[in-house]
Amino acid sequence: MVFELNYKSAKPVYLQLVDQVKASVASGAARSGDPLPSIRPLAEELRVNRNTVAKAYTELENQGVIETLAGKGCFITNQPSPLRKEARLKLVTQELDDAVIAAFHLQIDRAEFLRLAGDRFESFTKRRDRALQD
Amino acid sequence: MSTESPAIEIRDLVRRYGRTDAVNGLSMTIQPGRCYGFFGRNGAGKTTTIKCLLNLLRPSAGQVRVFGLDPAKQEVAVKSRIAYVPDQVGFYPWMTVREALQYAASFRSRWNTDTERLLLDRFRLPLGHKTSHLSKGQRTQLALIGAICPEPDMLVLDEPTSGLDPIVRREFIQTVIGAYQEGAPGTRTVFVSTHLISEFEGLIDDFTIIDNGRDVLTLDADTARARYRKIYARFPSPPVGLALEGARLLHQHGREFQFVVNGNADAVKARLAAHSPEVMETESLTLEEIFVSTLQTSGATA
Repeated sequence: MVFELNYKSAKPVYLQLVDQVKASVASGAARSGDPLPSIRPLAEELRVNRNTVAKAYTELENQGVIETLAGKGCFITNQPSPLRKEARLKLVTQELDDAVIAAFHLQIDRAEFLRLAGDRFESFTKRRDRALQD
Repeated sequence: MSTESPAIEIRDLVRRYGRTDAVNGLSMTIQPGRCYGFFGRNGAGKTTTIKCLLNLLRPSAGQVRVFGLDPAKQEVAVKSRIAYVPDQVGFYPWMTVREALQYAASFRSRWNTDTERLLLDRFRLPLGHKTSHLSKGQRTQLALIGAICPEPDMLVLDEPTSGLDPIVRREFIQTVIGAYQEGAPGTRTVFVSTHLISEFEGLIDDFTIIDNGRDVLTLDADTARARYRKIYARFPSPPVGLALEGARLLHQHGREFQFVVNGNADAVKARLAAHSPEVMETESLTLEEIFVSTLQTSGATA
C-alpha cells in the first residue's frame, strides 16, 4: 500500500491515512487479509509522528476496516460494520449531502448527479472485480 | 485532562542580555507525549528559551518548569529526564567516537546499548575515529545517539538539522520517530526548535511561533492547516467593490487574486462567489506558509 500525504489539505494527517486505506479496500487495491505496514516503519518512511499512524490504525480498527492480531500486526478485514443499518445510512447521508451541495452550486441537475453517482459506484465495483481476477 | 505535570511550562519568561530583551514575555505549555515545534526566525529568542529550560541561563523574570520542576533548583532531576541536541555540537576533540559515547553514558543511569549499536550501524559512524575528524553531519549523528540511548522522557532539539545534507536530515528525523518515539509510544516528548519547518511538518503535533521574544501563535498542526487557507480566484473582469475584510491579499494580477484567510474561508469564498469568478480554488497553508504568513502579519502591525 502506498500512502501519500498532502500538507496542503485541510484534512488531518491521520484521516488522510484512514481514507487512503479505505479507498484501497473499496477499489480492490487492498483485500481482506492483506497486512498493513507496521507503525514504526510506516511512520519513519512518511516521516510522520508515530502517534499519527497509531491514531489512524485505531480509527480504522474502530470502523472495522482492519483488525489487529496480537504479535502479528494489522490486517484488512472483511468483517461487516458493527453499526446498525440506520447508523450506516446516516453516515453515508452526511457525505452525500456534501456532494449534493457541490452539485447545486455547480449546476449539476438531479439526473446528471444520479448518473454520475451510478457511474462512480460501478467504477469501484469493476476495479474490485478486476483486482480479484489478478 | 491528566493531572500529570506538563513536560514544559513557561509563564511570562523574560531574559535580558544587557538592555536587549532576548525573550520578552513568552508563555507556552507542552504536554507529555507530544511533539512540539518551536518556530522562529534567527534571533527570535528560541535558543535563549531553551537555555533557560536547561539552566544554562537564569530567567530575568517569569517562570520555567520542566516536568513540574524548577531547572535552577532541581537541575540534576531535570537533566536526568531530558536530552539536548544543540545546533553546534561539541565533543572533546581527542576522544574517539567510542570514548565520546562511553563518556556520555557515564553521566546517565540508563543506556540502551541495543539502540546504540543499531544507530552506529545505521549512521555508519567509525568507532575508532577522533571526534575532531568527524563531519558536521556525523557530529550531529553522534550527538543524537548520545541523546537517545539514555531513553530520556524528553528530547530537546535546537535547530538540529541546519547545515546538514538532505540525506542526513532525513535520517535524523526518522531516527527521532523510530528509535526514540517508538521506545515508549505516547509518552516520549519531543521539543524541536527549527526554522526548517517543512522537514518536521509530519512530526509536529503542536507548535508555538515566537517572534521578538514573544509567542505570537500557538496551535495544533491539524487545526492550523484547517484554519489557514489560501484562496485563488480568477474573475472574467476585475471585480468592482470586492469586500476584502477578513482576508489578506497576497497577490493581484489584473483579474487574478490570491488571499490568505484564517478560519473564515467559507465566508470569504461566499463573498468572492457573489462576483462570479471563473475559477476559485482553495488549499491549506503548510506550517511553513503559516509561519511566514503569521510573521508578515505581525510585522505589519508592529
